[in-house]
Amino acid sequence: MSDVVSAALSRLSQVPGVRSAMIVDAEAGVPVASELGAGVSGEAIAALTASLFQRTEQAARDAALGRLGSLQLETDEGHVVVAGSRPLIVVVIADRDAQLGLIRLEADRAVEALR
Amino acid sequence: MTSGPAIADLQRLSEEVARDPGSSSFLPLAEAYRRMGKTQAALRVCLRGLERSPGHVGAHLLLARLYLELGDRERAADEWAVAVRLDPDNFDAHRGLGFFHLERGELSSASRHLERAARARPADPAVREALNVLRRRQAREAARAKLRVADTGVAPVDPVAPVAPPVAATSAVDAAPAQDVAVAESAAPPPDVASRESAAAPAQGASPAQVVSPPQGAAQVQGAAAAEARRAGGFERDPARVFEPLSVEAPYLGGLLLDSRGLVLAGSFRTDGMERGEMLGAVIGAAAEEAARTAALLSIGPWRGILMETERALLHVAPLEQNLFVLTAAVHGTPVGWMLRAAERAAKLARAFLEGEA
Repeated sequence: MSDVVSAALSRLSQVPGVRSAMIVDAEAGVPVASELGAGVSGEAIAALTASLFQRTEQAARDAALGRLGSLQLETDEGHVVVAGSRPLIVVVIADRDAQLGLIRLEADRAVEALR
Repeated sequence: MTSGPAIADLQRLSEEVARDPGSSSFLPLAEAYRRMGKTQAALRVCLRGLERSPGHVGAHLLLARLYLELGDRERAADEWAVAVRLDPDNFDAHRGLGFFHLERGELSSASRHLERAARARPADPAVREALNVLRRRQAREAARAKLRVADTGVAPVDPVAPVAPPVAATSAVDAAPAQDVAVAESAAPPPDVASRESAAAPAQGASPAQVVSPPQGAAQVQGAAAAEARRAGGFERDPARVFEPLSVEAPYLGGLLLDSRGLVLAGSFRTDGMERGEMLGAVIGAAAEEAARTAALLSIGPWRGILMETERALLHVAPLEQNLFVLTAAVHGTPVGWMLRAAERAAKLARAFLEGEA
């Protein structure tokens, strides 16, 4: 993992409200690099978010909507932001009241660093 | 008696497929097994062949027929849907889907597919009769809605919601005696439209399916009532237009009300001049399941929505109530805040539709 990517991941994890940030192999569903919060299973998150990414990617393709750029899962207590494209995607898990705009910005920077 | 391939032919086909499961011989071999009554063998050959040739329209149609013969209509419909994706004008696939939706009382979807089938083969007697049945049901539902309004002052129910069998019905319209109308048998038997409407319906694939319709006099009365309701306005609702109030806003692309199986209950989503709601719904249903699993694993509470940005659109999917989802789509570049507000409005429209108040 290059210093640029490591730095991007580090910046992401320092955004207020971010619990975990990861680079995930979207095809294999395995973590490539991560900054995880306590008690978080990187493998499980990577597998599930990769699967979610693949499903939504397929939906976009089937509906002729072009390539999927990002997705954001909102729940009662938090957010999961996924950005990027195959083979590597950026996954961020954040608290409900986290600054989403900033997270998206940093996630996009991390995606750029992966290219 | 249908003539099938000779034993020698069957052996040759079988050997070819054994050597190369993706060989084009898999389809005639599967068809031969089907004709011999070896449905499971036909199914295996067909599925193996499709693994190598997933874009083979004929194989998807045969698979649909096999599932139909096994009584699995949902899977048959899945295969017809795939066939339509591969060949948008395919008569057999549209006919199959038309009958499937008609049987389920999904009149809007049934109409869409039967009209496409009729355009491909205007003289097909099964499709023509199915369209007649469809129009009678639509008129009956409109009349029923008008009666309900007249009796109770309550807004009508959705005219395209699944139709209750007349035998179990209680309204004045339903209480009318039924009259059977024969639907001509077709080369590839469609789902038995009458199975939920007539206890005497024939077995799948048997000769003419029986479709219940109101007696002529009652139909005329109902037709007049329906026409009056249409003139009065507001009683006849098209599920495809449930989210239409959102369409006045420039970013709006489409909206869908979906069930957990990815079936479209209402709404419409078109891109490049093609309706893609069913296609999108099928995948979104699966994505929603993944969303729920992800939220559960992370212990961050139940999921409230998924926002997706693609090259051409911004989409939002949210659970409405148990097993139902609302998808809202806007053009690429739409502000996320607008999207979230539009999604809230779409959810309200969907609820109103479900409650029969839209």
